[in-house]
Amino acid sequence: MPDQKPETVRLTIDGTTVAVPKGTLVIEAARRVGVMIPHFCYHPKLKPDANCRMCLVEVEKMPKLQTACSTPVAEGMAVRTATTTVDDAHKSVLEFILANHPLDCPVCDQGGKCDLQDFSHQYTPTTSRFTETKRIFQKEYFSPLIETQMNRCVQCLRCVRYCDEIMDVKALAPVGRGTMTEIKHFGPHELDCEFCGGCIQICPVGAITSRLSMYEYRPWMLKRADTICTFCGDGCRITVQTKGNELIEVNSAHGAGRNNGDLCARGFFGFHASSDADRLTHPLIRREGKLVEATWEDALEYVAEQALRLKLAHSADAFGGLITSRCTNEDLYVFQKFMRQVIGTNRIDSSARYGHLNGVQALRRVQGTHRWTIAFEDIVAANALLLVGTNITETSPITGLKVKEAVKKRQASLVTMEALQPAIDTLSNITNLALQHFPTHPAQFGNTVLGLTKAVIEGNLVDATLAQQAPAFVQRLTSALQGISWENLEAVTGQTRTQWTETAKILAGANRLVILVGNGVLRHPGGDATVTNLLDLLILLGKLDKPGCGLGPLAEENNDQGAVEMGAVAEFFPGPAPLDDQPVRDRIATVWREELPRTPGASLTEMLAAANKGSLKALFVVGENPVGTLPAEAQAAEALGKLDLLVCQELFLTETAAMAHVVLPACSYMEKDGTFTNSEGHVQGVRQAINPVGDSRPDWEMFSALSVLMGSPLEYGDAREILKEIRTVIPGYGLLGPTPTPPKVDQAVLSGYLTQGFAGDAATRYAVSQPRQTGDGSFTLMFVQTLFHSGKLSTHSKGLLQLQQEGFLSINPEDAARLDLADGGQVKVSNSRGAITTTVKIRERVPAGLLWFPEHFDGEAKQLAEWTIDPRTQIPYFKLAHVSLAKVS
Amino acid sequence: MLKETHKAEIDDILSRYPVKRSALLPLLYLAQREQGYITEAAMQEIAGLLKLTPPQVYETATFYTMLNLKPVGKFHLQVCKSLMCALVGSDTVIGWISAKLGIKPGETTPDRLFTLSIVECLAACGTGPMMQVNDDYYERLTEEKLDRILADLRQTGTCSLKTGPFMWPEPAPAKPGA
Repeated sequence: MPDQKPETVRLTIDGTTVAVPKGTLVIEAARRVGVMIPHFCYHPKLKPDANCRMCLVEVEKMPKLQTACSTPVAEGMAVRTATTTVDDAHKSVLEFILANHPLDCPVCDQGGKCDLQDFSHQYTPTTSRFTETKRIFQKEYFSPLIETQMNRCVQCLRCVRYCDEIMDVKALAPVGRGTMTEIKHFGPHELDCEFCGGCIQICPVGAITSRLSMYEYRPWMLKRADTICTFCGDGCRITVQTKGNELIEVNSAHGAGRNNGDLCARGFFGFHASSDADRLTHPLIRREGKLVEATWEDALEYVAEQALRLKLAHSADAFGGLITSRCTNEDLYVFQKFMRQVIGTNRIDSSARYGHLNGVQALRRVQGTHRWTIAFEDIVAANALLLVGTNITETSPITGLKVKEAVKKRQASLVTMEALQPAIDTLSNITNLALQHFPTHPAQFGNTVLGLTKAVIEGNLVDATLAQQAPAFVQRLTSALQGISWENLEAVTGQTRTQWTETAKILAGANRLVILVGNGVLRHPGGDATVTNLLDLLILLGKLDKPGCGLGPLAEENNDQGAVEMGAVAEFFPGPAPLDDQPVRDRIATVWREELPRTPGASLTEMLAAANKGSLKALFVVGENPVGTLPAEAQAAEALGKLDLLVCQELFLTETAAMAHVVLPACSYMEKDGTFTNSEGHVQGVRQAINPVGDSRPDWEMFSALSVLMGSPLEYGDAREILKEIRTVIPGYGLLGPTPTPPKVDQAVLSGYLTQGFAGDAATRYAVSQPRQTGDGSFTLMFVQTLFHSGKLSTHSKGLLQLQQEGFLSINPEDAARLDLADGGQVKVSNSRGAITTTVKIRERVPAGLLWFPEHFDGEAKQLAEWTIDPRTQIPYFKLAHVSLAKVS
Repeated sequence: MLKETHKAEIDDILSRYPVKRSALLPLLYLAQREQGYITEAAMQEIAGLLKLTPPQVYETATFYTMLNLKPVGKFHLQVCKSLMCALVGSDTVIGWISAKLGIKPGETTPDRLFTLSIVECLAACGTGPMMQVNDDYYERLTEEKLDRILADLRQTGTCSLKTGPFMWPEPAPAKPGA
């Protein structure tokens, strides 16, 4: 978002006058007037390379033909793209390219969507003057998911440039020289990279293709559905291509969606999770201790009968509901309406509880919004970016690309506080781009932020007007931070005062400052306080409500934000509005034509405790798997075992579903319509790509059917009708558009916070938190999200399983050497809670003293995790453990 | 590991360039000097030193014909095949060498004495056909000259017909008596 209007330049293209911003390239200016100049190497995302020579055009007063892709427009320029000279030039370039290109279009997956095919057709070369044998490369195995056929390569290097400029991975190299240049990884090694699929998508010919869909289709056989990816909070637009009812491939179009055509491995290769053979296809009812197949009628009637019986025998609050944020807003809305209206309880929760609520609660408290006040465009346009505990490449890869664009293309200053260290390896590493990097122990994010705030205050960088407007706030923070010595902070965090001071200057000097907070903070003890303190930091710098500035917590699941906004959590009605918000309660009651329950809500952990005590009798679980997710200490299995009625709506027979009385097969995101709300609060349409697998149904439909059987019908014709109702409950919700309109800081809430809101817990928030003494080993084990998986859903995707199919322990090379551990060797990881044996992977990016284990494969390993519950936001924390290591020989 | 055996020299090379990546070619030369060719391990090590990925180093190493990616014989015969030399018979020279040594371009004799390579212009266009053997130039090649060069190299390890290496500016002539 540039602040001032750019200068415009007028030129003519084939006689048509066009005005474009200064600096535009001729090829882009031509596109504006509908003239498509043929090209291979040019791509709007990449820096001009002008190596293919296909885009030659005539420019008046220039003696030679110019490449349109690298020539910026100039005032009064006259460009001709359709003269005989230009046409001849294009023909000769094509002739050169075709000298080596094989005529294997019938067996090429690009056939039908190939630029070279199209141009050949356009220029109709029927004969070639080249009689020499064509260049032949030996066919080599390239990688499990990406196939290369180098004989088809036109050497435009788009793949290499994309991998470097956009992804910052640099895994592809043009090897050799001249005609014999081929795209390879490193020597004879197979490709090891982020597998974003970008090279496949950007290749103008069939040189790089996907092995998942190899020889499966011709483009014209495919049906397309534009929908939203389900594997993280970024909310990327994907185009799902199907043949019959079969998922063939996923791709994305440049310029489309919040991802602007970029994808990650999960988005590009993860789509087979929906068509996995293990999908549940029929309802199951427990009879004589065993789950047996049943009809929908039997299953639903059984659930309705049991639910009515239990409601009569106990009370509405003997029920609970738990839903995954992978569901659409429509599912989430009908779920909470079912629980609140048909059952009559507020005891519901969703997977937003696992961390996202920490961010939302802090935003609501300080700035009165439940969403970001910034959008992805602000990340790209930022002058300075502060990333705290994000590991953004692996958790939110596309938001990560926005950060990379800001740093690499727009020279933004990047500050990172990450449990990660700079290293070059097969995945990109955001800390490599940082101007200031604080390698942070996962328990030290809070203290590291304290140091920064202290440096801002002591460096006299506090906004001058703030000190007058909110003297109490500034004084309180100043005195609290003066009470903390630099020595103390340096000792606990391992950072230096100089670095904090330098960083404070960078942040204060930036006009547009964006802070992104990730799971490293949100899913760990103290997450709520750290996010609040980061908002305090923005206030101190006078940037909280400045345009282009703000804080964004990154959601882990695609619809964490939607789950909160739909009121599918214990503390909120749709809106989200707190349960004691009378006007909202009244408004919803008018729409629902029924009073809303007045009893308090219950969070996930409270429900489990209630079930354990026997006061919770029935639980509806939608796509959540507490038994498989939570460590033993949460006692999920024990609690669920005591229920009189456990109903699971699931894609797969998970550990939790296996305990259920009734299991109802649900549709995945590929099989239903609806909307998802991404991290930045943008509501986007989800569209059905394939028919429901087996007899599965969308989750909202099941609740709708149950409500009819239970005598208080919630009837909807389709997802659209639900969205319509959502819009009456939350005015203006989800007006689908290309970009979000972020809310503004609520000044009333902010001033309330500055006068007294901050004070309640200021003493605890502005105190050095001491690391927990556990008596366990000296290593800190983190259960982390990896780039190649999302929760446990993606472990059903055959593509992603080829990239990562089991758990392993990532360890720093020095630690590994000290313990004599070799890459691929076995190690025993143990603490007082248990022990596991796993494989070692030595990775330079893991800081010394830390260990990473992918949470997607945490089966046995999660018993090691420590279990605590946030007193304010009720977030259960179980992503850390202290362990010892021993080599297994 | 180069870092252990040549620490001072590597530090010196790195100190010459404000942009680390610029030290790539000198380091590749260093690796080649040590092992006769550039090993995969060396490329990985250099990538680590310069904060590049191994494919980026590989890209550069494969572009230059002066960098060997396979072991070469004691004498590396690099025949220029660019336009000027081609016009005055570089193909014939290659043919002679192939016939006399029994190796095709890219191959090494079984006694590991000679490797034949075909390379791009060596900037001796006025004196073609020509070849470079290790660091020395042999220009205006004829079959007799070639026979003598090969024989001398086999026997003495060098040959008086060599005309290089060239340097610019030319080194000051050695002072008599020095």
